[in-house]
Amino acid sequence: MTKAEEKPVLFPKLPDVCVRCATCMAACPVSRVTPRFPGPKQAGPGAQRFRSASEASVDDWIELCTSCRLCDTVCPAGVPISELNLMAKSKYLNERGRTFRDWLLVRSDLFGELAARYSKIVNPLMKNGAVRWLLDALLRIDRRRALPAYEYPTFRRWFRTRPAPEGGRRKVAYFYGCFTNTNETDVGKAAVDVLEAHGLAVVVPPQRCCGIPRLGVGDLRGAKEMGRWNVDSLLKTVREGLDIVFSSTSCGLMLRHEYGPLLHLPGAEELARRLFDICEYLLCLHEEGKPAVTFQPIPMKAAYFTPCHLRSLDIGLPALELLRLVPGLDVSLIEAECCGLGGLYGFKKEKFAIAEEIGKDLTEAVARMKPDIILTDCEGCRMQIRHLTGLRVLHPVQLLRDALERRGIG
Amino acid sequence: MDLRTEVLIIGGGATGAGIARDLALRGIPSLLVEKGDFTSGASGRNQGLLHSGARYAVTDPEAARECISENRILRRIAPHCIEPTDGLFVSLPEDGPEYRANFIRACEAVGIDTLPLSPREALSMEPRLNPKIIGAVQVPDGAIDPFMLVVENARDAESRGARFLIHTEVTGVIRDGLRIAGVRVCDRITGEEYAIAATWVINATGAWANRILGLAGLKIGIALSKGSMLITNTRLSERVLNRCHPPASGDIIVPNDTVSILGTTSLRAEDMEHYEVTPEEVTFLVVELSRMIPDLKGERFTRAYAGVRPLLQSEETCDDREISRSFALIDHGSCDGIAGLVTITGGKLMTYRLMAEKTVDFLCERMGLHVPCSTHVQRLPGAGQGHTLKDRLARLRRQTPAARGEILCDCELVPREAVDAILREGKVRELQDILHRTRLAKGTCQGGFCVYRLLGLLNELRKAEGSGGSNVVLKGFLEERWKGIRPVLWGTSLKEEELIESIYKGLFNLAPEGPGRPGGGEA
Amino acid sequence: MKRFDLIVIGTGLAGLTAARTAVEMGAKVLIIGRGMGALTLFGNTIDLLGEIQPETEMAEGIPRWIAAHPEHPYARTGMAGIENALADFRGLFPPPYSFAALGPGNSLLPTGAGTMRPTYLIPATMAAGAAMTPAGTLIVGLRGFKDFQGDTVSLHLKCRGVTLSLPRYGMEGLTALALARLMDEASFRERLGGAIRRQMAAERFIGLPAVLGFRNPAVVLKTLEEITGARVFEIPMLPPSIPGTRVFHRFREELIAKGADFRMGHPVSGANVKYGRCEGITVQNPPLATEYRADRYILATGRFLGGGLWAEMDRIVEPLFHLPVFQPGERGKWFGERFFDPEAHPIHRAGIVTDADLRPVDETGRVVLENVRAAGSILAHHQAIEEKSREGIDIATGFLAAKRALAS
Repeated sequence: MTKAEEKPVLFPKLPDVCVRCATCMAACPVSRVTPRFPGPKQAGPGAQRFRSASEASVDDWIELCTSCRLCDTVCPAGVPISELNLMAKSKYLNERGRTFRDWLLVRSDLFGELAARYSKIVNPLMKNGAVRWLLDALLRIDRRRALPAYEYPTFRRWFRTRPAPEGGRRKVAYFYGCFTNTNETDVGKAAVDVLEAHGLAVVVPPQRCCGIPRLGVGDLRGAKEMGRWNVDSLLKTVREGLDIVFSSTSCGLMLRHEYGPLLHLPGAEELARRLFDICEYLLCLHEEGKPAVTFQPIPMKAAYFTPCHLRSLDIGLPALELLRLVPGLDVSLIEAECCGLGGLYGFKKEKFAIAEEIGKDLTEAVARMKPDIILTDCEGCRMQIRHLTGLRVLHPVQLLRDALERRGIG
Repeated sequence: MDLRTEVLIIGGGATGAGIARDLALRGIPSLLVEKGDFTSGASGRNQGLLHSGARYAVTDPEAARECISENRILRRIAPHCIEPTDGLFVSLPEDGPEYRANFIRACEAVGIDTLPLSPREALSMEPRLNPKIIGAVQVPDGAIDPFMLVVENARDAESRGARFLIHTEVTGVIRDGLRIAGVRVCDRITGEEYAIAATWVINATGAWANRILGLAGLKIGIALSKGSMLITNTRLSERVLNRCHPPASGDIIVPNDTVSILGTTSLRAEDMEHYEVTPEEVTFLVVELSRMIPDLKGERFTRAYAGVRPLLQSEETCDDREISRSFALIDHGSCDGIAGLVTITGGKLMTYRLMAEKTVDFLCERMGLHVPCSTHVQRLPGAGQGHTLKDRLARLRRQTPAARGEILCDCELVPREAVDAILREGKVRELQDILHRTRLAKGTCQGGFCVYRLLGLLNELRKAEGSGGSNVVLKGFLEERWKGIRPVLWGTSLKEEELIESIYKGLFNLAPEGPGRPGGGEA
Repeated sequence: MKRFDLIVIGTGLAGLTAARTAVEMGAKVLIIGRGMGALTLFGNTIDLLGEIQPETEMAEGIPRWIAAHPEHPYARTGMAGIENALADFRGLFPPPYSFAALGPGNSLLPTGAGTMRPTYLIPATMAAGAAMTPAGTLIVGLRGFKDFQGDTVSLHLKCRGVTLSLPRYGMEGLTALALARLMDEASFRERLGGAIRRQMAAERFIGLPAVLGFRNPAVVLKTLEEITGARVFEIPMLPPSIPGTRVFHRFREELIAKGADFRMGHPVSGANVKYGRCEGITVQNPPLATEYRADRYILATGRFLGGGLWAEMDRIVEPLFHLPVFQPGERGKWFGERFFDPEAHPIHRAGIVTDADLRPVDETGRVVLENVRAAGSILAHHQAIEEKSREGIDIATGFLAAKRALAS
């Protein structure tokens, strides 16, 4: 499906190619709601002329960048603005030190499995007013935001205990992502169902958190460690001839486009060539005409939201195209950019208001559209949209699973 | 409005301002006239290099000695005008290890500290250097801000009674028999003409020396040399970078705040007013300096400029006062029969203080005063208030969103309050005066955005000049900016220019004066 | 591997027009680019040809001009082509936020420098500016919003100006987009309207910076006109252009809704050319490079700013297909001696020369690539800045390129 070919034609030294056209300022969701963040033009290439490796960082506003990367998508000159911001954030936080809260939150994969096992205790605690007040006061995790519930059994456990489909199928590997594993297992289950319905056999190789939460706090070293582990493990799968699909657009972006270019992990390019977004993959199968999969009618009004990281994956809108294959489904695109959550960003007390304000556009667009259901590929967007609208929000594969002819599988 | 002074100084460059300060420190009041703003001559059009003198150590040890002595003095008296970057003299294979060895010996002989470095050490200090270098030598070069230096000299002098009249051009010389009696001047902003009576007139006009002397029917032997320089958008190195070879063209890169200045060429100039940077000079500088920094060809250049400096031609001058081989003080009383008129010429920015010292020593001797010079020990007024790049970046801190809204220049992070402070001083008389005193328009877009905002601010304060409104000033600024930009328009700079042109000619429809365009131009 | 009927390279106005025209004809289209083109920078109104006087019919003035400029892109499209393309464009903006010509020829609108500028199709939020009178107009600036200098505008237009403070402390550093979003909120614009009204002295026209709403500009206009009782218009200012961004988003929304594949943000780094035909283009998204294939291609990558043309130290190249570029001699001849030369700088005429079908040709007139067409400002022999023809060229040639491409 892809081939690595010609080198870029003319990419002069970056970030020097910025011409101050301010197009990025028309896209940045943070600077459109608060003047505390000077905007990508100044935060990235502008401030870069003042930064020096040998001097202490002073740009404490750099933490307000959510790394949505929308600035990159609109820059006509190709300035790697979000990368510049990330480097600056990394240096700044390395010097200032990270809070205990940030240390804790980016290691959610460690205590995730534990919390899932004891979800019957953990979940009520996470809803308890006093506990939330304490978390707010001590750790500055804003109590106005519902914390995602844990589920047990985890996706991985579920997968291990289910019967495998009949043999002779082509195999495909699945990268589920830690959120699917412990907080939204139905997404994983739906992914497996839909892949099997397309005649594939799903394998789940050993994997860990992709590391993107670490990037959010500028912890490049931590991200690199996690990435190294994943690359080593997943390369084995790739070398056995398997493709790997992911259902979280953020995990996908990290695995496919940051492991190599940003973190310089050996083997990342070889891995990238075999990594696909699940909807991208399914759409490809449909276009090749292979599976005899037809979708049952689902007479609903649906609205699809484009996650920011999906734009950076640059695969178009395969989920939307797939959803259009479902008869009776009236699906339209939500005209809003960026839900505002920014991964862990919106949970933090000092950023909660910004995240809310950014999400306003989306809330208003949804109110105008009045859909029955909202679909989006990113777990962060799903959490944020539930928080903003109270509506039912699913991953597209969950709806596709519901539209499948029942074949008697799990 | 005729004026009277004991000592009149013509020329607001480093030498003139230095003389005013030296006089003031010795208790002698003076009046200085300058036809433009401070440093409108060579003082404002050089590479901003605080020489260690190493460059001359091998070929001209006397000049080198002078340089290192003044270098130390300037670091003491004007630390806020200097970035003590240090410099490297870099040897490429073709420069040879012998010259390097000679160079180190010669520096030591004149008292310049050197630190020899291996290629690996040099490359770790300056990663952009050519990996093929065979060695480097660190010397106490630095970067200096000539405008701040001159303005500080003026400020110190003014606080002690000196007076300064900028935008005031000398149009004639008044004689009283065999003695000078004063000058006639014209205010270039108002057009007013008047006379200034003076006992002593010091011609410190650099390349314009003969223009002034011509008004008295005199002439001295100086040649004009044009040197062109290029400015990069980003700072290429922490330190000054020099080629370790006999001094030639295109062998120095000087860091300056957020940018680097590449230089220089040396061509005979015929005219001190009309000269430009030619495409051949630009190509030469890029090619030559890419020997030191290989990927220079892909670098982005924001501006080119040239300066004309006067070169002494010692055979022609009546020089019974040869104080130094590098500069000359000519007493037209003994040489040409016009007493009271003195020309100080030659020299370089580095030696301005010494030139001023010798001039004022001469004057004092003639006036019968025995006051010693103290400009080498007295610090300039602003000393002790340095700023670094990161201080400007720190302005973006979130506790002052209102202040952030008032950043006029996004590229150089210049806030409105900097301009307000300058306007409050009440000395500026036109747009360029404001631009000289801040870093406005010195960044990536060269004023493409900030000058529109600045003029809006001036309109708000009802301070914009001219009957045509501020758009006349804006067009004048764009035309002036063009001179610096045109020689480097390729690559990304050309993209920038397309943006600026589209904004001002397209979106804002500013048109040249001329036959009316349908619907175009001013309302 | 998906194969498209048409791949449009460039997401500026020319590319967007070409893609939409093709989609309306039922083609399977991929449009890929970086940035929003000149739309976000200067796109506020639709310029056709600045020198046409207000009383002259465009349909008469332009053909006469074309006859005198046979190399110009308009000569490829003809007046009919221009008219059809503009009608299509207008169709994308139904009332109340519609684009209209206010007279037979150009109208004059005030600019952010207080000058007047000729232009043709004008959005509803700017129309009143064409009728403003110096004595009857109030120009309103917003404190801390530095990309619009109200005093500069009022001084040069010789009318009254005021600067209003924004309702809350901390808003002073707001960007144009942030202000435009706030305008979309009823409470904000009502307060602003009230503040304007209190400053008015019986003026009948109010001029504001071009931030009158992002999603609902017509509603913002209506509210402000109701509260002030005057006709309100927005005035273009320094980039980014909010009116231009509105146009971009409308095109994008329409293209996605009609099934086009819309990609933004990654450079097209190479083209696979064999025997005078383009077989595919490669898009870089490190570490991957993906190839896309179509039967036909349209190159609408803009000029230097858009990356469609690139100037090395001694020559101008077209970096994707390496097409021959018509250009003035050496670098010294690219620009005139003065910024405001009476003649436009020679470099602006540089670009891609084409046949009547908009296919690129070499100096002998031979077609270089038979399934590739060029559209928009990348074409040679025009001076969009001086002529005030930027949007007209984009729309007319984008339209033509798509029609011709799909007819082949």
